[in-house]
Amino acid sequence: MRNLFVPLLLLSLAACGSAPKRYSPPVVDQSGAPPVTDALPQGEPLGQTAPAPRPAAGGSAVVALLDQAQARMRAGDPDAAAAVLERALRIEPRNARLWSQLAWVRLRQGLPAQAEQTALKSNALARADYRLQAANWRIIAKARWAQNDADRAVAAERRARDFEERGLREPARVQ
Amino acid sequence: MARKKRKPGRRRSNGRRKARRFNIPWIKVALAAATLMAGYVAFLDFQVYRQFEGKRWSLPARVYARPLELYTGRRLAPAQFADELKALGYRFVGRPRRPGEVARNGSRFHLISRPFRFWDGQEPSHDLVVKFSAWGVERLRTGDDGRDVALARLDPMEIGSIHTARQEDRILLQLAEVPPLLVKALIAVEDRNFYNHHGVSPRAIARAMWANLRAGGVVQGGSTLTQQLVKNFFLTSQRSLWRKFNEAVMSLLLELRYDKDEILEAYINEIYLAQDGQRAIHGFGLGSRFYFQRPVGELTTAQLALLVGMVKGPSYYNPRRHPERALQRRNLVLRIMREQGIISRAQEQQARHEGLGLVGSVEGTSKTFPAFLDLVRRQLRRDYRESDLTSEGLKIFTTLDPQLQWALQKSLGDRIRAFSRTQPDLQGAALVTSAASGEVLALAGGREAGFAGFNRALDARRQVGSLIKPAVYLTALEQPHRYTLASLIDDGPLEIESGGELWQPENYDHQFHGRVLLYQGLAHSYNVASARLGLELGVEQVIRTLRRLGVSRPLRPYPSLFLGAAELSPLEVTQFYQTFASGGFHTPLRSIRAVLDADGQPLQRYPLTVQRVIEPAPALLITRALQLVVEEGTARSLASRFTADAGLAGKTGTTDDLRDSWYAGFDGERLAVVWLGRDDNQPMGLSGASGALQVWAALFRRTGVSALVPAAPETIEWHAVDRAGGGLADAGCGNTVQLPFVTGSVLPGPAACAGPGGWIRRLLR
Repeated sequence: MRNLFVPLLLLSLAACGSAPKRYSPPVVDQSGAPPVTDALPQGEPLGQTAPAPRPAAGGSAVVALLDQAQARMRAGDPDAAAAVLERALRIEPRNARLWSQLAWVRLRQGLPAQAEQTALKSNALARADYRLQAANWRIIAKARWAQNDADRAVAAERRARDFEERGLREPARVQ
Repeated sequence: MARKKRKPGRRRSNGRRKARRFNIPWIKVALAAATLMAGYVAFLDFQVYRQFEGKRWSLPARVYARPLELYTGRRLAPAQFADELKALGYRFVGRPRRPGEVARNGSRFHLISRPFRFWDGQEPSHDLVVKFSAWGVERLRTGDDGRDVALARLDPMEIGSIHTARQEDRILLQLAEVPPLLVKALIAVEDRNFYNHHGVSPRAIARAMWANLRAGGVVQGGSTLTQQLVKNFFLTSQRSLWRKFNEAVMSLLLELRYDKDEILEAYINEIYLAQDGQRAIHGFGLGSRFYFQRPVGELTTAQLALLVGMVKGPSYYNPRRHPERALQRRNLVLRIMREQGIISRAQEQQARHEGLGLVGSVEGTSKTFPAFLDLVRRQLRRDYRESDLTSEGLKIFTTLDPQLQWALQKSLGDRIRAFSRTQPDLQGAALVTSAASGEVLALAGGREAGFAGFNRALDARRQVGSLIKPAVYLTALEQPHRYTLASLIDDGPLEIESGGELWQPENYDHQFHGRVLLYQGLAHSYNVASARLGLELGVEQVIRTLRRLGVSRPLRPYPSLFLGAAELSPLEVTQFYQTFASGGFHTPLRSIRAVLDADGQPLQRYPLTVQRVIEPAPALLITRALQLVVEEGTARSLASRFTADAGLAGKTGTTDDLRDSWYAGFDGERLAVVWLGRDDNQPMGLSGASGALQVWAALFRRTGVSALVPAAPETIEWHAVDRAGGGLADAGCGNTVQLPFVTGSVLPGPAACAGPGGWIRRLLR
């Protein structure tokens, strides 16, 4: 399990350096307009001025916390690692990679049911990141094995392989 | 805790041996008296020992707000940051030199943060330069060498303690943490001979009398610090010779057993300094926080002198009630300090010119949040005994975000005040949570935020009205082979028999709207269409959905449930809507992150847990429907106040005769639920849209929104649909709405406006 933690972490570091990809539902014509709803200081009229483009919410902060979480895992303290990841999630609550990391840590904490649910949460936010979804399905498979749910564990392994293949066909989503 | 010095009693046994040689009756009497006395002294000695060796004080649990996290990209306005620093008792200076000091230059802050021990480790003191831009923290660097800092945490604001009625409260200090100046001033003023006497000092009494004669009043007491400690520590305040005798004996015993530093440390923690309602403020540690809102190590000379001066009579010299008296007393202490060579004449002059430096409550940034603490206490009681909470010195780290709490109190208070012109008895309650984690960030239990009374957020159970409808529509959307957002449902007259009575639901506008799109039934909150849809689905099915979404209260299985005939508290509604706000994951609401024991060791964490209760596809459909409530439905007044790509989602709720006004809404990061109504459940003239929604809007305008961009699973496809007739639209159609469909569900046919010649048909129509 630990072997997988490190490459996952490297992946996360690579992805965390930039803003999370904005998904645009075909609701309104967005014509590349900058996100003007975010980051408004108190008392200022909304939507009347477009603030300067904003960097990723907490890019380097989240990277620093991922480092910390990794150090705690190496020290054999998954409880502490979980606390650090929860802190990171308060900064970037929609970061699918953070949820995936937390799912791994939950497995190490001996909480397979929570590991599975947390990995599902990561998948819900992962959008088209197939490699991440593959990793999450691996976690789910392990969690289901740990709960003696063999049929559903095998199904999860199948999903993991599907996403791995799709991930290979797609260029790596490092942006 | 304390080291034993030497055992008293050797002299007593010598006396006994001597007494045996002389067999004279009066010696027998004396011997008996001496034995009795020795026994009594041993008893006192035992008391002194037990009190001093064992745990000396029971400490109330201390409750903290969330710590402020600083990092590049954090959304925060400079004014908010300044408010938070003020509330934390930071001193605004020209150039920060010590922890707890900050220099502000427009949107640039240079501060030295205080170290603090958190549940996940020690946060060291940081020397930080924080630069703000229009949207928040632009850059975070170290103050000395300008290196970028990824992340730093300030010490958390203390928001309360859990104590019993009339309990003593204190923050324990070790002698090393106490500024030497304070110790010197204390000794100079209260007991100049402290390091030389054996607990009782005839010389001190004589000198005090002389000083008092010279000053023409009482300026010094004759008791030593040891006697004062004994008096506070072991004895009642009753004045008698016998008590004086006990005090003297116990003082001597204390001095025999313990060294001066131990006695001094105990004194510094024991001394009574103020009364705060039911709570007695003891010790210089808490006294400093209570009067100056900062740790004792950060006090100025003048502030230290004021604290020392108050020892003599905390209520007589209460600086809040009698500022003139307190100022005179402080200046007297400063004079004594100068006379004793503790400070220079220049220092005395400088300190004399300082104001009292007390913290009052800054308008709009009060630090008492009784309604939120109420929730914390209830969660704690599930896991801890009351006696542990009031005596073990636990540290409780909560989820409260003071910035949001102030904004919520202001938004709710302002709006209710405005409505009160026509509705003087209007009340309200509201909660704000983090959408992803279920952390309760802010809570208001009534219109007066600082007032601990009926906590409506937790205890007011009110009809929820249309707030319940998303559960009906979700139940339908979870059957994609039967229902889509574009399915046509009937909003024509409806009569059914329920419980032997004829039930005829009506719409808010008393009109029927014929065949409407399913999402429009929710967006416009049509009662008849919603009731008919609920009847198709079955009430048991809808109740099962409500259970999954987190509603645990018993519900009556009647059709009126579809229109909100259920009574829930704002907290319960928040738990219910939390599931929508987090994209279909049930997340238990939490107000506590962790509990540490008095030594800073983690006792308990309250970890983040999630559970998927709505599959990804229907989760997206219901979120889109709730967004359409804002885009074109009952909450559309929001659309003009926020930009379109905010993607806000929510639902209004109004009950019969306008008795309850609800709004539950969320953006990409936060959920807020607002209720307005009267405590006596009488009509108050506000609908969900005209009342609660206004509070919600004021709050989110004040705090800013983050875009809600729901994640679409791969099993979803988007189509443009004709708003009027519900068919699939094309470029020829003018009035369309983009709707998500579960792949494989039955799509509507082409719209009248669509296809070749569609525009001609439109012209002819």
